[in-house]
Amino acid sequence: MNFSRREFVKTAGVAFGAAAVLPSWVYDAHAAGEALFNVNKDALADAALATAKRLGASYADIRINRYRLEAVNTRERQVLNVSSGQNFGFGVRVLVNGTWGFAASPLVTAEEVQRVTKEAVEIAKANAPYQKKKIDLVPTPKVVGTWKTPLERDPFEVPADEKTTSLLKINEAALGVAGVNFVNSSMAWVNEQKYLATSDGSRIEQHLVRGNPSFSATAVNRTTGDFQAVNSLREAQSIGYEYMSKHDWAAEAKTAAEHAVMKLTAPSVKPGKYDLILHPSHLFLTIHESVGHPTELDRALLWEANYAGTSFLTPDKTGKLQFGSKIVNFVADRTQKLGLASVGWDDEGVPGQEWNLVKDGVFVDWQTTRDLAKVVGRNKSYGCLHADSWGSVPFPRMPNVSLKPAAGNVSQDDLVAGVENGILIYGRGSYSIDQQRYNFQFGGQTFWEIKNGKVGGMLRDVAYQSRTTDFWGSCDGLGGQSTYEIPGSFNDGKGEPGQSNAVSHGCPVARFRNINVLNTASSPNAGQMEDDH
Amino acid sequence: MLLTEQETKAFTEKILSFVKADDVSAGVGSDKLSHLRFAGNNILTSGNRVSRNANVTVWVGGKRGAASTNDLDDASLKDMVERAQKIAATAPVDREYMPTLGKQEYKPVNGYVESTANLSLSDRAKAIGSIIADCEKNGVIGAGFHATRVQAGGSLSKNGNFEYERSTNVSLSTTARTSDGQSSGYFLRSHFDTAKLDTKRIAEEAIRKALEGRGARTIDPGTYTVILEPQAVADLMGNLGFLFNARNAEEGRSVFSLPGGKTKLGEKMFDEKVTIYSDPWNAELPGSQSAQGGIPAQRITLVKDGVVETLTYNRFWAKQKGKEPTPGPVNTVFWTSGQTNTVDDMIKSTERGILVGRFWYIRPTDQRTASSTGLTRDGVWLIENGKIAYPLRNFRFNQSVTQMLGPGNVLMVGRSERVGGSEGGGSNASLLPALKLKAFNFTSQSEAV
Repeated sequence: MNFSRREFVKTAGVAFGAAAVLPSWVYDAHAAGEALFNVNKDALADAALATAKRLGASYADIRINRYRLEAVNTRERQVLNVSSGQNFGFGVRVLVNGTWGFAASPLVTAEEVQRVTKEAVEIAKANAPYQKKKIDLVPTPKVVGTWKTPLERDPFEVPADEKTTSLLKINEAALGVAGVNFVNSSMAWVNEQKYLATSDGSRIEQHLVRGNPSFSATAVNRTTGDFQAVNSLREAQSIGYEYMSKHDWAAEAKTAAEHAVMKLTAPSVKPGKYDLILHPSHLFLTIHESVGHPTELDRALLWEANYAGTSFLTPDKTGKLQFGSKIVNFVADRTQKLGLASVGWDDEGVPGQEWNLVKDGVFVDWQTTRDLAKVVGRNKSYGCLHADSWGSVPFPRMPNVSLKPAAGNVSQDDLVAGVENGILIYGRGSYSIDQQRYNFQFGGQTFWEIKNGKVGGMLRDVAYQSRTTDFWGSCDGLGGQSTYEIPGSFNDGKGEPGQSNAVSHGCPVARFRNINVLNTASSPNAGQMEDDH
Repeated sequence: MLLTEQETKAFTEKILSFVKADDVSAGVGSDKLSHLRFAGNNILTSGNRVSRNANVTVWVGGKRGAASTNDLDDASLKDMVERAQKIAATAPVDREYMPTLGKQEYKPVNGYVESTANLSLSDRAKAIGSIIADCEKNGVIGAGFHATRVQAGGSLSKNGNFEYERSTNVSLSTTARTSDGQSSGYFLRSHFDTAKLDTKRIAEEAIRKALEGRGARTIDPGTYTVILEPQAVADLMGNLGFLFNARNAEEGRSVFSLPGGKTKLGEKMFDEKVTIYSDPWNAELPGSQSAQGGIPAQRITLVKDGVVETLTYNRFWAKQKGKEPTPGPVNTVFWTSGQTNTVDDMIKSTERGILVGRFWYIRPTDQRTASSTGLTRDGVWLIENGKIAYPLRNFRFNQSVTQMLGPGNVLMVGRSERVGGSEGGGSNASLLPALKLKAFNFTSQSEAV
């Protein structure tokens, strides 16, 4: 399923000077308010970079970005909100005396660019006396290019009434199921128009689009006071409005509603050890938390120690630690089709690329940026720098991290057939993992009993808890390409100040042996279970 | 760049002048964020960001449209209004429309301090440099985050209600790790007045916890008596106020729901030592002068001596149910009408229990019981015979927060102090005490440090 970079709408070339002729700005020519954002970015960038250099910066970059967001929220037969937002501004990052400084403003004018650049330098200089180890960067080739998310239909050209009609149709499908009382649905569309100029001479323009349709159906038993909800299984993707027609959302809503009603009377799971079959709609988040985050090099180097945490992986374990069973292979990939973290280049001009993180079960590599790569003696970055806004400091963020499918044509039924006593889990539920990514606990949306190789009835109140390397070590079956999906998370938080990143995790259905399962229904001794060690 | 009251009025009046609609609400906001992040006893990143934004909601023939922009020039504001009106033109009728408010009287809160807004770069660098030096002196690896934020803005409705508010916040968190990676301490505090942020205490507490946490041992998970420091209480209770939603309760999908569409309003659902209220004018924790829907905020009590006293109604749901909309909550204050105890008192009175400094990665597992899972982090100790016996490795818990505060489970309550949830990084705060709880469910171990 990996997507060749050649298939992307992309032009690229090596620039031999900052004055190289650039393609025109990639704004959608029909977008509302287009003329409002037509500034001379190259002239502003030249001024910022020259000022930074004059004031002593050894490296500088400026990002001039515009973000558009459309969101629609509904419940039952009514529209709660339709909103359209846009946000335009620039941020200047400087490296002075081995210390970073950053400043940003929404006033995209020549005077403000000068003021903000000076402010970034002042910040770096104020902090430099306390910089014990100077920041340095690995080199990256100069580049001039543009890149766009491939899409068939621009969501920002779709009228609001088409969007509300689409969501109300989803709601109606769910409400048509007897016993369903409530349904919420929403869609959010984001368009990032990003310009980057670096003191290395790179000039890059990118046009990224992503969408996040979702719904939730709730059934309430008024007599018992019980209620159960089932959310959509489809997740956010880098895709245009065609997402709404390529997937039958209404049919899925009807099924979800039926499952919500079924959940009210489903038996509560008996805690204990089970084999698990995890569908991609669920497994992607387990990958995100237990593989994506611990392979971030900034965590291993304690840069996230005060917030998101560190990692059980450390540089000395590279190429040595048995992360999972031999069938487990994870790739980091910023070029994957539909991947939320797919780009042409990262926010410091490093090309989107694919590399191995775990190969044949062994942890082999990290996610890096130009400053991180330098710390561990590498000579190139894998291109993981990202900022969620013109006003945010770019810092290491996760690429798409995906689990490779089995080579053969292995179906979900094939994996289920090998399970005597297990549970099949769909959808993202509650998720929690410790700050070094050892101990995790994940719920889901729907849970199905597996007995003697066959999927049986629904269960409820299921969560499983394990330790990362034990869990991936217990993986003894992967589905083939036909079971592969690319779900993703629209909002992954990290950093201080907190930033949000969108990232995908392609994966097939997969089987795990002998995993601790909890019952999450609360009682005075809720969640009591065997220790996992 | 920060909007004054006069500018706020001028911008919102201008937005309204661009609108042709039956009803309109327009708002503008501005903020300045200044931050410094350090890690590995080294400066990591630091920056300033200024921003402004405008938003408008219009209703045309009962149809609603909303739009926003961060450019406040005339052309952008007109474009924003056009986008909102275009959405309203094709939207279905807004069934939950409530006319915008007419003129309201707000009693100002005092959450703005000029010196917080103007903290100098050199003073901040010096303070962080001092923390790094303390970490080095004690042989620990320090990381942390300092942020100041100033916000100002307001709104104007077509029916004549104008409001303007501004606020400041400064926060500092520090994590100290021993060089062998086997122990870690953390401390976070925030205030609207930078003079009242005790940076020395924050660093000392983080370092102390890291040093005293060395040699952590493993004990079996299970149900234990616990003493939760205020930080741990903040991490668990950060979202508790949102649970008191009347509509969810009456629709049968809340921890406050009872069979047959009834609710637990008036029930003694919590221990009698528990009182939770919101007070916009609390001197230590100023809230907003404006509650949901723009109605003037008032002091409201959610739980009084264990009894659920208020479920919150928004303007629409209040009208449907013939109630008054609830003027809050705008902050959270935990208080007890009984005696308060220090953490030392709590330890001395405990035969066997666990002291927890912080929780992390808390996520809901069952809305019906307000249950969550999460982990301890940065300091856990075993208490035996009235004394701290030794540090422990971390645990995962599965616990209902309402059962945790339930009748008979709250043994002692400390004096409340200003503290914010650590996942929020100091951007928000409540007034919360340390708590001694009879039973708390730890369900597995975590080797994470």
